[in-house]
Amino acid sequence: MHPLVAALAALAVAAPLAAPTAAGPAHAGPAAQPPAPSAAPAPVASPGPAAPAALRPSTEPAPAPAAPTTEEPPAAPRAYSIEQISFRGLERVHEWAARRHLTVGEGQILEDQRVLVSRLRLLQLGWFSSVETRVEKGSARGQVVLVFEVVERNTLLVTDLVLGSTGPQAFYGGLGLSQQNFLGQGLAVGGAFVYGGAPAGRPADPARFAARASFDAPDVSLGRYRLVAGVSGLLVRGEELTCPEADCQGYGGRYGDAPRLRYQRVGGEARVGVRPGPFERLTAAWRLERLSGAFLPGDGAPFGALPILRDGRSLLSALSVTWEYDDRDDLFLPSEGLLAVAQVALSSRLLRSDYEYSRYALQLETGFGLLGRPLRLQGFVGVAQGDAPFFERFYPADLSYFAVGPALGRAMELNFSSDSRYAAFAAMAGAEYAVPLWGHGRFFQRGYLALGARTVWSSGALGGRRGAFSSWPLSLDAALRMDTPIGTFNASLGALLDNFL
Amino acid sequence: MLVALLLPWPARAAPRAGELPAEVSLKDGRIAARLDLSPALDPPLLRRLGNGLTNVVTLVVVLRPAEGGPPLAVSARVIEVLYDVWDEAFTVTVRDQEVPARRASVRDPAALSAMLAGQDLLDLGPAVALVDEPLVLEARLEVNPVSSELVQRTRELLSHPGSGGRPGAGSSSVIGAVAGYLLRHPGPGDDLVLLRSRVLPRPGSASP
Repeated sequence: MHPLVAALAALAVAAPLAAPTAAGPAHAGPAAQPPAPSAAPAPVASPGPAAPAALRPSTEPAPAPAAPTTEEPPAAPRAYSIEQISFRGLERVHEWAARRHLTVGEGQILEDQRVLVSRLRLLQLGWFSSVETRVEKGSARGQVVLVFEVVERNTLLVTDLVLGSTGPQAFYGGLGLSQQNFLGQGLAVGGAFVYGGAPAGRPADPARFAARASFDAPDVSLGRYRLVAGVSGLLVRGEELTCPEADCQGYGGRYGDAPRLRYQRVGGEARVGVRPGPFERLTAAWRLERLSGAFLPGDGAPFGALPILRDGRSLLSALSVTWEYDDRDDLFLPSEGLLAVAQVALSSRLLRSDYEYSRYALQLETGFGLLGRPLRLQGFVGVAQGDAPFFERFYPADLSYFAVGPALGRAMELNFSSDSRYAAFAAMAGAEYAVPLWGHGRFFQRGYLALGARTVWSSGALGGRRGAFSSWPLSLDAALRMDTPIGTFNASLGALLDNFL
Repeated sequence: MLVALLLPWPARAAPRAGELPAEVSLKDGRIAARLDLSPALDPPLLRRLGNGLTNVVTLVVVLRPAEGGPPLAVSARVIEVLYDVWDEAFTVTVRDQEVPARRASVRDPAALSAMLAGQDLLDLGPAVALVDEPLVLEARLEVNPVSSELVQRTRELLSHPGSGGRPGAGSSSVIGAVAGYLLRHPGPGDDLVLLRSRVLPRPGSASP
């Protein structure tokens, strides 16, 4: 018997449906009209317009009894030894950086499951668009070479893209970039800036701008410990209007005459941490900033409460501890999992700081499916005690989709609105429902419509009355979010509306 | 961003689709199906099956009314394919509810393709489930499916500490960008083929 026939016969699970032919393939039937594949005939429906199936009415003679089916003993497991692990397709990524994430090693016995896990771990680094594995003969029988064939992907992302216009600032914009695999070693380098130019009505004044840069090593192996380390720098030059009313209506649009606090922040942060688990990170950071503040009374008219900042030069030195947990299944469109970020920051004269305060923040987000689509619940609570500078407090408009009033969400902690009311306490609760729109684009690879609602409660002082940053307690949003090879983009109606309200 | 739009980005993988040559019949009061999976067995897939590692091919066959509606019958089969680089032979193991395990060995990819293409006599269940209308067979062929549990085990927190900003600090604009993360878990479209047969008459009814 032809070996192929023998192999096919071994796969037969019951008696053939048609009258069996002795020498032909087990599954050929007399009424079948197959467009046979190249290797062997197979039973297929006729390709005619009605595509009739072969019918087997019960009046046909009973087919021959099925061959007895018995479970075959399992095949003896292979015991090939991995002589060498080879990577092919690496251009920017260093091989040692990729090897760190493998669960197989040279000299070990080849196990399919561990190879699969290694492949998944490489894919989930985000460095490769494709990872394929295969085995080749080694130098001697029993030895194999395990090959990982990879295709690198772009790791330069857009992290910020800011455009806006307000009364006090006719136009401002900004851009942020992040290289997620710097030098091919899994390091991260990022930078961002926002620029607004001179304030409205004061062309001779210094421009408002903010810039930050960061460097992070998110996974440093030290023995059996996995550490996190990073540094960042910050330069902010801004102004906070201090009109008696939040919208500076007394100045009739002449924002150049309004009183203001002009300030500058120059500093940086160093952080180090550990990874207690695959989805956790615990970091401690020390932040040092040189501050300068100057109150400009404008045209001499009355002014409102000044944002908290020492006049002249001052120093801010603060320690913070941050715990992060994130096991969401998809950071672009999560349908399950939890995001939790808890942070405590302390500043004291013990740290040579001119400010004595503590700051607490907790952010939560969880997702689950509702009617087959992802629903995210979001929450935030923040408390600032003591004489925290205004930028260490909470700006309620940052937490809502829009504010009915002059407040506008800040850009890189720069406030371009006329509302300079910061809160000592802020809480936000919200929900966002996602309607997936497409999933297999070329540049716009995935997209969904996000329908969200948030409510924010804030107070200028702990235990104080609710602040009125918005005359509406609720903010809504409809946003188109798109996942692209260079980052995630968000076209938000709420943000657009915020510029006009 | 305009420059980025002009670059030739590779498309995210979508499941392959094709027509499924198939026939449905009745045997001893049960629905049986014969399939030809050759439309799914393209050269890249056959090369992957010969990678020297154990490849698991899951085949799920669904019988449903041609006009739409819930499935009438379902059957599943798991096929393991292992190419031994030293023996230079394929070992194919088939498991389904009919047969716990059947094993065969072939030498060349052509024979492997022929063996995998001819999937016959899948038991789709009792004939009482059939409705009196035309039917279609749909087959889902997935190579090395990854369970969500395994993805969960291999995932890690990858966002960098400095990328997300402080909790409570926002940045909004008309065209705003939230932090772009690179976490990508293997999607089902990587090794997935969806096949659908032409309309088939109900077994036991006259052919049109």
